Amino acid sequence: MTDSKYFTTTKKGEIFELKAELNSDKKEKKKEAVKKVIASMTVGKDVSALFPDVVNCMQTDNLELKKLVYLYLMNYAKSQPDMAIMAVNTFVKDCEDPNPLIRALAVRTMGCIRVDKITEYLCEPLRKCLKDEDPYVRKTAAVCVAKLHDINAQLVEDQGFLDTLKDLISDSNPMVVANAVAALSEIAESHPSSNLLDLNPQSINKLLTALNECTEWGQIFILDCLANYTPKDDREAQSICERVTPRLSHANSAVVLSAVKVLMKFMEMLSKDLDYYGTLLKKLAPPLVTLLSAEPELQYVALRNINLIVQKRPEILKHEMKVFFVKYNDPIYVKLEKLDIMIRLASQANIAQVLAELKEYATEVDVDFVRKAVRAIGRCAIKVEQSAERCVSTLLDLIQTKVNYVVQEAIVVIKDIFRKYPNKYESVIATLCENLDSLDEPEARAAMIWIVGEYAERIDNADELLESFLEGFHDESTQVQLQLLTAIVKLFLKKPTETQELVQQVLSLATQDSDNPDLRDRGYIYWRLLSTDPVAAKEVVLAEKPLISEETDLIEPTLLDELICYIGTLASVYHKPPSAFVEGGRGVVHKSLPPRTASNESTESPETAPAGAPTGEQPDVIPTQGDLLGDLLNLDLGPPVSGPPLATSSVQMGAVDLLGGGLDSLMGDEPEGIGDTNFGAPPPAAPARVGAPIGSGLSDLFDLTSGVGTLSGSYVAPKTVWLPAMKAKGLEISGTFTRQVGSISMDLQLTNKALQVMTDFAIQFNRNSFGLAPAAPLQVHAPLSPNQTVEISLPLNTVGSVMKMDPLNNLQVAVKNNIDIFYFSTLYPLHILFVEDGKMDRQMFLATWKDIPNENEAQFQIRDCSLNAEAVSTKLQSSNIFTIAKRNVEGQDMLYQSLKLTNGIWVLAELRIQPGNPSFMLSLKCRAPEVSQHVYQAYETILKN
Amino acid sequence: MISQFFILSSKGDPLIYKDFRGDSGGRDVAELFYRKLTGLPGDESPVVMYHEDRHFIHIRHSGLYLVATTSENVSPFSLLELLSRLATLLGDYCGSLSEGTISRNVALVYELLDEVLDYGYVQTTSTEMLRNFIQTEAVVSKPFSLFDLSSVGLFGAETQQSKVAPSSAASRPVLSSRSDQSQKNEVFLDVVERLSVLIASNGSPLKVDVQGELRLKSFLPSGSEMRIGLTEEFCVGKSELRGYGPGIRVDEVSFHSSVNLDEFESHRILRLQPPQGELTVMRYQLSDDLPSPLPFRLFPSVQWDQGSGRLQIYLKLRCDLPPKSQAVNIRLHLPLPRGVVSLSQELSSPEQKAELGEGALHWDLPRIQGGSQLSGLFQMDVPSSLGASGHGPSTSSPPLGLGPASLSFELPRHTCSGLQVRFLRLTFRPSGNANPHKWVRHLSHSDAYVIRI
Repeated sequence: MTDSKYFTTTKKGEIFELKAELNSDKKEKKKEAVKKVIASMTVGKDVSALFPDVVNCMQTDNLELKKLVYLYLMNYAKSQPDMAIMAVNTFVKDCEDPNPLIRALAVRTMGCIRVDKITEYLCEPLRKCLKDEDPYVRKTAAVCVAKLHDINAQLVEDQGFLDTLKDLISDSNPMVVANAVAALSEIAESHPSSNLLDLNPQSINKLLTALNECTEWGQIFILDCLANYTPKDDREAQSICERVTPRLSHANSAVVLSAVKVLMKFMEMLSKDLDYYGTLLKKLAPPLVTLLSAEPELQYVALRNINLIVQKRPEILKHEMKVFFVKYNDPIYVKLEKLDIMIRLASQANIAQVLAELKEYATEVDVDFVRKAVRAIGRCAIKVEQSAERCVSTLLDLIQTKVNYVVQEAIVVIKDIFRKYPNKYESVIATLCENLDSLDEPEARAAMIWIVGEYAERIDNADELLESFLEGFHDESTQVQLQLLTAIVKLFLKKPTETQELVQQVLSLATQDSDNPDLRDRGYIYWRLLSTDPVAAKEVVLAEKPLISEETDLIEPTLLDELICYIGTLASVYHKPPSAFVEGGRGVVHKSLPPRTASNESTESPETAPAGAPTGEQPDVIPTQGDLLGDLLNLDLGPPVSGPPLATSSVQMGAVDLLGGGLDSLMGDEPEGIGDTNFGAPPPAAPARVGAPIGSGLSDLFDLTSGVGTLSGSYVAPKTVWLPAMKAKGLEISGTFTRQVGSISMDLQLTNKALQVMTDFAIQFNRNSFGLAPAAPLQVHAPLSPNQTVEISLPLNTVGSVMKMDPLNNLQVAVKNNIDIFYFSTLYPLHILFVEDGKMDRQMFLATWKDIPNENEAQFQIRDCSLNAEAVSTKLQSSNIFTIAKRNVEGQDMLYQSLKLTNGIWVLAELRIQPGNPSFMLSLKCRAPEVSQHVYQAYETILKN
Repeated sequence: MISQFFILSSKGDPLIYKDFRGDSGGRDVAELFYRKLTGLPGDESPVVMYHEDRHFIHIRHSGLYLVATTSENVSPFSLLELLSRLATLLGDYCGSLSEGTISRNVALVYELLDEVLDYGYVQTTSTEMLRNFIQTEAVVSKPFSLFDLSSVGLFGAETQQSKVAPSSAASRPVLSSRSDQSQKNEVFLDVVERLSVLIASNGSPLKVDVQGELRLKSFLPSGSEMRIGLTEEFCVGKSELRGYGPGIRVDEVSFHSSVNLDEFESHRILRLQPPQGELTVMRYQLSDDLPSPLPFRLFPSVQWDQGSGRLQIYLKLRCDLPPKSQAVNIRLHLPLPRGVVSLSQELSSPEQKAELGEGALHWDLPRIQGGSQLSGLFQMDVPSSLGASGHGPSTSSPPLGLGPASLSFELPRHTCSGLQVRFLRLTFRPSGNANPHKWVRHLSHSDAYVIRI
């Protein structure tokens, strides 16, 4: 036989020849003919014309020939559905063949023929094969269910194949179990809600048993399935881990990684104090290290996974730094990945070693790699503070080499180091300036210009340096142009006398000669700032910048947790959740790590975080960060912001109408006071004024008007934790709201649970239902050192902008410090909004009560309150709920009360108290009925405390 | 779950194309893959590629591309493992993996694929298990001859060996089952170690790693049982020590699942019934302390005169193997500063060769006997533009871009860990035919042996 036998070029009549051979009597000849047909098919020739002839060969005892014919059928049945029907009878007959190989072959092939007419005939044979005595047939049938489900899901459900498939999970043959698990997992993915893979301790046990017996590939299916299970407690998690651990030493890396995934996920549930936790950590390292001796392709995939694991649990590999040292002959993609992991593992203990390596890498030949190595040195400086000095000197050494790209890269990272450690390494600026001429890449030029502008006062010839860049202004890239503009403005603000000409030149270049809108806009902003108020300009342009931290290049924690659930899958290679790249809706069920069950320690997983926080109804109020960001920060929190947020014109009118319903005629004879602050149109002057004077002015005002209010002020709830430390990089905030003599304040307690000093605190509220806003900046006078706690009372006013929140009393807050910006939301008790002049005239009360339609009346029951009418009345009055009249009807005390909210909404109440009965009836009438629920809650709170 | 599998020739022609899930796209996918692959920029990882909801994972084997595609979030490890297993399997069944053997055996390959993968789920990759299902016989180009000793090599390791083992013995189908019996009675056992070493410029080793494997290729009839005896002093883990001599210690060992370890603890004997075909019996690794000294030491001295741009490098390479052993095919690769021209050389023996190429110095040494040393003196001119200003005082520090030196070599009959196979015994032979040929070979070769200068 010669090589080219099957590949002769198409001659005329070749099909004809094949046809003749196919119809030959001799088996051998037929077989050879079918082989030729298949060879032609592979190289892309159309041999579909031979369909009937090939199908004729199907009825044979020769297994080899049969297989060949089936192969052909799979390929062409789709294009010739009518002809394919001819084969059905043989298929059905073959499904009953005494030879299990033929039975399996028939059922497998039928599943691959995606023709509706054939699938109808498939059901009966499939049902038999699922119960076949031979495991080879059963395992093939199990997969066939998945195939059929893909073609016709309804049919599979109607025929009850899913139940049969579920039974196969308990099959005696591990191969069958593995295929059944794989098929069920896939079917379950397309019906996320269905409970197909009902994992319970019993079925898990079966899977774990099968795990020990089945082939490596089956083990992967089973492990992946186990990873979707959530054990009920830490004990169960531990016992599963114990049985999965032996897989870590398997030769197949896919088995190892699937086992790692299960362990990483279940470890989340184990307490860190447990001995077993430590053992498990130790066991995870060797298999991961072993993966690094595989082929580069596997290494790369392994490194991408290790990158995730290291971010989640750095302790696993903290002693294995050496294995990530780059080998000379590693492919570049492996090198870069290793570099990244080295930095993640860098710590004070090993930084010397790492730096020595990085310096070595920086002298290699591969330009890309060298650049990354230089960058890595900068990242080390930012990550490990103690090493910063050493890193800077290493970078200076590298700059001395004068190799162009090394110098440029070094300057870019030195800029970052300046951002992290301001005013510390300025001595190097001189060296940097020497290399000004050699910079030809935009990023490096921009970095250098930034440095010159930032430290203009220390560089004698800063103006000359910047001027030299200005000459070719229009040839520079946008990045450099913007940076140059800012730097020159900075320079001007620092040395106004000598540089006036320069700044005018750059402003005119940017605004008049450029057609880049960004550049023009920035130019105009500076121009106007400088011309209207140079002092303000100084504050804006030379404002202190937030420090950068190494966390900027970490994967965001929630994404990381999700990705940990996808270890050993494509998601872990792309570092993207599957929803970002998997077609359609399949497999995009979000996975999350299980919460830790042992509750005796302060937990670490974010899911359980609110456990210690306020009340049960709280969690669903907390919005996702993404939503908040949009709403809250129309403003940049960069420089500490003070005063109420700017009243933007986008106040939602719908919300105003709803809430303002109570503002009708009642407002008419209102005495002047804060009550008439109509939030539909906040005082236009508000943004310009600083908050503090308003706040104090308000309390003065109230001192005069609130004759009735008692001095003690209204009820104050104890402080609760609003922002747990673990969600805010170590900053814990707890607080409560108070109202005293007419002024509202937010009493905060800030605790620094991080290891670094916190400074530069600022606070801002999102728009909320009642326009609550800080009346003064958040003043934390001294930096907050670790473990220190500070108590602050932040005065609030209600002149902020308004947006209806759900629930009504939800308040979203952003707190900034030198580390980051954090968001949380809290519910404030409504009674802090009850104003001191909420006592209504009797006549007015009657009229209003009648005037408000009955459907606005809401009834509530206050249980378990043993006070009498007098005590109730006094108590409520101290929180500005005023009793207007009291009646006794049939032995019951009826109290008629009124209160007014800061935005002028009146609420009228009827409180029915039956002596001896601890349950009170409360009827509330209000034109804005949505507040009733919260007023009732305020009643409850006040009366029960 | 694999959607498609295909094999492309080195020129991108599809040799095999199999669709498991009735995905659209068809054959164009193969073409698309090749276009994407050839259009890749240098540093992008080609391991996993992504195009319109389809992920490509491929390996390159003997000049062929084995590619799997999937549209789901599956484990890339399992795909990579599968592809390399398939490469082994196809080698087992077709004799060797090459464009020729694949296109001669299209029907066989399809049959194999059908058994290995069903609806994209991997069923099995064991040669032994598949034997029960495969009907088609391999088409072999040349009849195999035991006496065809024209070229010499180890299967698996791309290397050379002085002890003669018939190379083509290892590249014939394991399962040409119905051919005559006398030829199949062979078993090959290789102990192959890969050495990766990093030596600092002061000569102290920074990192030493040895990855070893016991690889078995068996042509024995199935059901044969064998025992492999390893060095008795062999110990695993940091603490354990055995025997009186210097122990042979490794950090980690993993075994193939078919290996019976009953006698391992007591006598270091592995017992197994090898399936026909290739099998990695054991894998081990060892880092940091080697029982024996590193095979090579390099003593460089560099003189660099920045003014004249003259670079003089004197390299002395010492082989610290035992005197009876030798290293072969040694090649030293030393990257040089950019723009180096005009090499002049003085080498210590005539069989050596040195040349400039791709910005590096290549120094080839056919062999070095243990305990000896060889040297070379190289002089080059570096255009002064690189040194720029020239006012730098540094005549001592080498110019940028020089080094590190990397060595590649082979150490036949030597294992760096010291691990040896004491014996290979067949305990049970089903058909009781003539004594089989047993070939046991030891070999170490370099993976990355880097010396900083």
